[in-house]
Amino acid sequence: MTDAPIAFESSPSLSAAVVRRALVRDTARRSLARRRLAGRVATSLCTVALCISLVPLVALIAYIISRGLPALSGGFLVHTPTPEGIPGNGIGNAIVGTLIIVGLAMAMAVPVGLAASLFVVERPGKLSGALRFAANVLTGAPSIAIGVFAYAVFVVNFGYSGLAGSFALTVLMLPIMLRFNEEAMFTVPADLWEAGLALGSPRARVVRSVVLRSALPGIVTGNLLAMARAIGETAPLIFTIFGSQFFVFRPTSPMSAMPLTIYDNATQAYPDAQQTAWGTALVLMVLVIILSVVARVVAAHLNRKTR
Amino acid sequence: MSSLLAPDGFAGADPSSPVRGVREALERRRARAHGHVYAVVRWAGAGIFAAVFVTLLVTLFDQASAALGHMGIAILWTGWNPAKNQYGAGVFIVGTLLTTLVALVVAVPIGIGTAVLLSELAPRWIAAPFTLMVEFLAAVPSIVVGLWGLIVLTPLFATHVEPFLKKVPLLNVLFHGTAYGASVLLAGVVLAVMILPTIVALSRVAMSGVAVADREAGLALGATRWQVVSKAVVPGARRGIRASITLAMGRALGEAIAVALVIGNNTSLPHSLLSPGATLGSAIVNSFSEATPGSLEKSGVVALVVVLLAISVLVNAGGQLLLRARKPGLPPRGPVTESASPIMPTVPGVPDTAGTTT
Amino acid sequence: MFKHRFPILVTIGVVALGAAACSSSSSSSTTTVTTAQPGSSPGGALGGSADTSTPTVSLTGAGASSAQPFLTRAFYDYNRSNPNVTVNYSPTGSSVGISDIQANNVNFGQSEIPMSSSDLAKATGGPILQLPIDLGGVAISYNVPGTPKNLHLNGNQLAQIYLGKITDWHQIDSSIPSGIHIVAVHRADSSGPGYDLDQYLIDTSPTWVTATGTTTASKTWPEANVGIGQQLNSGVATYVKQTPGAIGFIEYSYALQNKFTNASLLNKAGAYVAPTTASIAAAGSHAANLSASNYNIVNGTGRGTYPLANFSWSLIYQKQKMINTGIALGKLLDWVSSTGQRNALPLGYAPLPANVQAVAHATLLKLEDSTGSALFSS
Repeated sequence: MTDAPIAFESSPSLSAAVVRRALVRDTARRSLARRRLAGRVATSLCTVALCISLVPLVALIAYIISRGLPALSGGFLVHTPTPEGIPGNGIGNAIVGTLIIVGLAMAMAVPVGLAASLFVVERPGKLSGALRFAANVLTGAPSIAIGVFAYAVFVVNFGYSGLAGSFALTVLMLPIMLRFNEEAMFTVPADLWEAGLALGSPRARVVRSVVLRSALPGIVTGNLLAMARAIGETAPLIFTIFGSQFFVFRPTSPMSAMPLTIYDNATQAYPDAQQTAWGTALVLMVLVIILSVVARVVAAHLNRKTR
Repeated sequence: MSSLLAPDGFAGADPSSPVRGVREALERRRARAHGHVYAVVRWAGAGIFAAVFVTLLVTLFDQASAALGHMGIAILWTGWNPAKNQYGAGVFIVGTLLTTLVALVVAVPIGIGTAVLLSELAPRWIAAPFTLMVEFLAAVPSIVVGLWGLIVLTPLFATHVEPFLKKVPLLNVLFHGTAYGASVLLAGVVLAVMILPTIVALSRVAMSGVAVADREAGLALGATRWQVVSKAVVPGARRGIRASITLAMGRALGEAIAVALVIGNNTSLPHSLLSPGATLGSAIVNSFSEATPGSLEKSGVVALVVVLLAISVLVNAGGQLLLRARKPGLPPRGPVTESASPIMPTVPGVPDTAGTTT
Repeated sequence: MFKHRFPILVTIGVVALGAAACSSSSSSSTTTVTTAQPGSSPGGALGGSADTSTPTVSLTGAGASSAQPFLTRAFYDYNRSNPNVTVNYSPTGSSVGISDIQANNVNFGQSEIPMSSSDLAKATGGPILQLPIDLGGVAISYNVPGTPKNLHLNGNQLAQIYLGKITDWHQIDSSIPSGIHIVAVHRADSSGPGYDLDQYLIDTSPTWVTATGTTTASKTWPEANVGIGQQLNSGVATYVKQTPGAIGFIEYSYALQNKFTNASLLNKAGAYVAPTTASIAAAGSHAANLSASNYNIVNGTGRGTYPLANFSWSLIYQKQKMINTGIALGKLLDWVSSTGQRNALPLGYAPLPANVQAVAHATLLKLEDSTGSALFSS
């Protein structure tokens, strides 16, 4: 009992006795035909739910494409912005800026998130409970608060920079990654834990060598979902990166990013600006979709390797 | 392969050979060193996370202290009027709770229903592409959703949805007043659109993680497919479903820009779901940039952030308390003394039932 | 080995953070410093073009988003004849522009209302010069089906609309059939247009003063519990355009671009004037003794004056540490306030009147280097 593996609730084994009791009660009361009918009604309701889910999706994506596609002409993806009325507008610097800022944020967030979630999973206790609670609370923090925080810590002392933006995004992603990593590790079935423990390994070793490998697809998916969320956030960037009309590669300088471009342009009256905003939104969405698909492919590949 | 072998003894070692003894000793030392490095890394990760969290709280409290001191506990029920030096969050709290409630009422049933369909009931050739499509919804940045809500949904709600809701006899209590389009209801719906992918994705993953044995147990007893889903799969996935709702609720509580674009930004108390209103998030995003640095107003806006985090803490704590009050019929915690089922034998010392973590 | 990845990744992260922390970002130019001889004015005549043999100067500015279309166009125009000077302007809002220049994070700030004395006291780099750089107006746009093209409104009517006391368009203009509900739209965020309208209502409507309880105009809309609030000009414009019965205040350049129908307002001289670049320019030209402490041109004199107009102010430090930056900045802003005004009309702004250009020029002549000697001779 003392070295028992962590008792986790998500062990998918509901007691079959409970299932049996519920079913016997149910079956005794209803006939097969009525049960089948209930099943069909429920399936129809769920199908309705799916259709309702798809309506905003289709409408949103159709709208973004219809307004953004006209912007994707010529060198939109490689030029830098030009003032209103001057042709040759582009978001090349914003794309580069987004990649740099998000790349740096991932480099900071992924290791810290993984290490912290390992701490929470391997050493259950008051401290890890507190960390989990803190992560839950932080996921409810408005992204503007995180931007304010990054401003107070970075910009006040070092000036505007892409790195301050990366820091803000890291703070945004960390709690999400922590929760996802933890949930992923808990879906690993009990047998794998037991097998590792049965071989005499200490708990930490079991987690590191066995559980982490099995949970890796889930962890990868979760981390990439957190990144997808962070890529589209505007508020943390408004206070930290300042923006720029030129190509910038040094993270310690002010730079541009796509959400900032969307925000600045969507709030202007001129048709050029409006089109740029929606074009950027389209590019951003395509980028995130590509990354999500990559996430799934990587996760599936890793899944095949470990199972 | 030394990774799975504990440093403290492994099978098949011959303790008599000196060469082996030295090698074992070296391996043990290296493994211990790795263990130390690993422990340091773990502590570092947790430490960095905790440091970030604490610094965030300290920074926010520090900036909010002026306004919090000025308003005291009355911040929770007074109104917001900077011209009269009033920085109360009362109206915003109501708006936040209302919009989150609407968002959850709309998104949770639809989300779980969709997840059930995609995970259990639909054939694979439907489930796979539609799963991807619903998750694509998460790829849309929140400001774009807000703009779409302002440009497309607001006139739609003003001319069709809201007048319709006003006419429905029983619902008239909730839905009355001028149909502006921009309203608490629309903000709730926009939030629902944003949190739907989270609920669907995480619930689906949780459901597909339910053991095959439990499903087969149900089928073996003569249950229909729907009964297996409703009695075995969904309850078995409840940890993941709960987590999805918690994450979704967190997102809905804190969303700022999208809400500010569609809620109508009226600082009076909404008297119906069709009234324009304001939430903590929308108020923060409207007031923060232009408040003079170092002024009481700026402090007041950061105080709103503190209030929002406090609400998040309360809601999360409340959720955890509900968990502790276990419903009857759930399996007991701790070691199982008798064999609980004929199908799965009990291993002494290993709980085979769902127990909670500490 | 898998187990080595963590320390390595963490180390990379920490090193990256450390490297970034050690190099601070600078906001001024990367030029060599020219030392000035006492008594000389290294910049020469202010009106002369930038010396193309000086090293490249890149300037940063932050502030009002309302000025952004004009400023970026003007800077682009300037860069064509002076390619060694590039400017990066960020429309973060007036308040952030002020705090940025206070912290000396940018070369110039941009604000729709000049800095107050308490703002100036917080500036870390010494005294600040404030000069008007563009002139804009605020339109009262409305969307009422079947209305006369040119609605006439006075301060009292507007006050009652925005206080929720008049709710039907028929009460404003009896030619409009009754039954059309007035939807009063204000700015949810702090704004220059909100400030202007607040000032106008304070000047012309005692009802407004009683209701708000103050005679000081504020950028935050005081009656946010009435009607609908929208974010930024774009929010107000989008909502007004799609809502029958709506009325809202929008920057004139924005309203012009969207072809809104605008109301004619009663001005101080008793005439109803519609917003046009000409009537806004008239408001600017009647500005007497314009300075950073006397900046208000709302409800100004003149028969053809549109009552809702305001300048946008550039904020720079008087003492410039880097002489090349100071010279480039001075010449840039002088050009923008004079020749650069040719970019104003196409974008819906009014060009600065001659008397105001003179004020800007005179202010820029006060630029000094860190020892106190003037940068420009005339």
